[in-house]
Amino acid sequence: MRWIMLVSRNLVRRPVRTLVSLGGLALAVAALFSLMSFERGYQEGMRGELDRLGAHILVVPKGCPYDSASMALHGASWPCYLKAEYLTRVRHTAGVDAAAPVLMNAVYNEQTGSSAVYLGVEPDILRLKRGWHIDGRLPTAPDECMLGSSTAVTLHAGRGSSLPLPALGQAHFRVTGVLGRTDGADDGFTFLSLAGAQQVFKRPGQLTHILVRLADPDRLDAVVADLRGCDAGMEMNVVPMAHLFQSIQSLVGSTRVVLGMVAVIALLIAAAGVGNTLLMAVNERSREIGMLRATGASSPQVFAMILLETWVLCTVGALTGVGTAAITARLLEGWLRDRLPFTPIGALMHPDTGLAALCVLAAWVVGAIGALLPAVRAAGLSPIAAMRSVR
Amino acid sequence: MMSVATLKQSTDNRPAEMPLQPGERVIAAQGLGKCYRRGAERLHALSDVSFEISAGEYVSIIGSSGAGKSTLLHLIGCMDTPTEGSLRIDGLETSRLNDRGLTRLRREKIGFVFQHFGLVPTLTVLENVLLPTLFARRNARARGEQLLERVGLADRRDHRPGELSGGEMQRAAIARALINDPRLLLADEPTGNLDTKTGDRILTLFRELSATGLTIVVVTHNPELASEANRQLTLQDGVLQSDTRARRASPSPRENSL
Repeated sequence: MRWIMLVSRNLVRRPVRTLVSLGGLALAVAALFSLMSFERGYQEGMRGELDRLGAHILVVPKGCPYDSASMALHGASWPCYLKAEYLTRVRHTAGVDAAAPVLMNAVYNEQTGSSAVYLGVEPDILRLKRGWHIDGRLPTAPDECMLGSSTAVTLHAGRGSSLPLPALGQAHFRVTGVLGRTDGADDGFTFLSLAGAQQVFKRPGQLTHILVRLADPDRLDAVVADLRGCDAGMEMNVVPMAHLFQSIQSLVGSTRVVLGMVAVIALLIAAAGVGNTLLMAVNERSREIGMLRATGASSPQVFAMILLETWVLCTVGALTGVGTAAITARLLEGWLRDRLPFTPIGALMHPDTGLAALCVLAAWVVGAIGALLPAVRAAGLSPIAAMRSVR
Repeated sequence: MMSVATLKQSTDNRPAEMPLQPGERVIAAQGLGKCYRRGAERLHALSDVSFEISAGEYVSIIGSSGAGKSTLLHLIGCMDTPTEGSLRIDGLETSRLNDRGLTRLRREKIGFVFQHFGLVPTLTVLENVLLPTLFARRNARARGEQLLERVGLADRRDHRPGELSGGEMQRAAIARALINDPRLLLADEPTGNLDTKTGDRILTLFRELSATGLTIVVVTHNPELASEANRQLTLQDGVLQSDTRARRASPSPRENSL
């Protein structure tokens, strides 16, 4: 005879009521687990994406810096451009270690029904993209290109191939290299030489953005102030990536707060449900509790029995909730992507066992709070009063 | 069915307590009273009740409804405390014990049999019998099986109470009451919910238990059960009216105790 068996049997006595309580608890834990997975996934995704960009500062045309950052990170057609001569000014700013000009354009491909993103770059970009592994080299001539890993697979092309590029007419480009997998947006891009891109997209002397790496990241504020104070400062937006990270985090903060409130309220409701379930159970079993007391159960043992019942209920509910959240994470991720102003390309939800354990712990704490009243009431029943109670 | 003697071979690891010798006092009540308050009203359920019960006695408590029989049984069973007088169980003054002490006394020295059986419906018969050992932190599975065999329920050990007849449930409850090897068996209307034939089997079981030297106190309306006892305490309006001893051989020493 074991305690766990006694309390488990007690829980199946009213299976429907137990299932309803379990359902409420599972929903609450699923909401909490999803929120925490999202919180972690979003932060890691954002940080990874900004790290992959390799820049401390992003210089973009005037306009919304967040839109610009989003376009630079994920690829798009830009509505306005920087003059190429600003690059010289940026490169000569004290504290700038490297500045890489980029001309980006997205072209709709009718054949595939998706956009092909092209980036015109110079070899300087390799000073920023230190994590890149290229099978070959960057393009330098107007008829050369380098393919992102996914693009190479899609086009069935490799180094040395010569092929027309999607949505760029019949002109053939020679593939000088294939970029190793980055797990970021670069995998889906096609890289041209900067001059070649300016020629193809008819944007001579224009750039969409400049990636800037600092010699000393601690001097970020001074460099940003210098860039904003220069002659070209009125024509360009200087966006520190660290600030961008914080700003985007705060932009989605309201969503997190709402989700957090939902999770907390759901947990509180679940705790009330658990408390109510146990209170009813204690009332129904008063006579039986009296019998247990008469046959030798002490008050602390009755208290522990009710608490153990709660924890068994909470453990099963929490594990069900965590499992449900893990299974539906992809669905929720898709739903969130459609609603958030900016989302990283990688997985938005990062569920792991540490978070799962934390959620089970939260369920135990909440369950214990909910069980406190029924447990105290049960433990306080005198055997004789309990025996006298009407069934 | 296993003989009573073989049941002495208890399988639990607890050091055996010294069995009480016949004649040693198990219960000593002196000026016992229990008063309840109902608003401004004071209800005297028991008044100035004094008696002693020795080891091995089989005592029935009789009286009309409201006479205070169950109140007295609950006091003896340490489920309630007296408001007046003194009550010593196995030498311990119960009015000086706190809840923990009373619980320990119930757990170690007293076995209860209830009119409504008090079996947990979700547990099997064997699990119900073993339930008190859970609270006593003992492992007495083998003894539980032996007791079930003793009360004729060995083949019903894995059944739930809902699958048993009233008599079987009461026999399971008796086995449960004996699992911790108590010095005192208290029964509150043990045949109250049973038909005559089934009640007779319970009477037989009580007779056999008494023959082993176990001290038994039974509250009953059943004259046949009351007459089985070798002593009758009669209560009326909370007062002990008579204390009658039957003229029969005194109980044998508890050498074959369950």
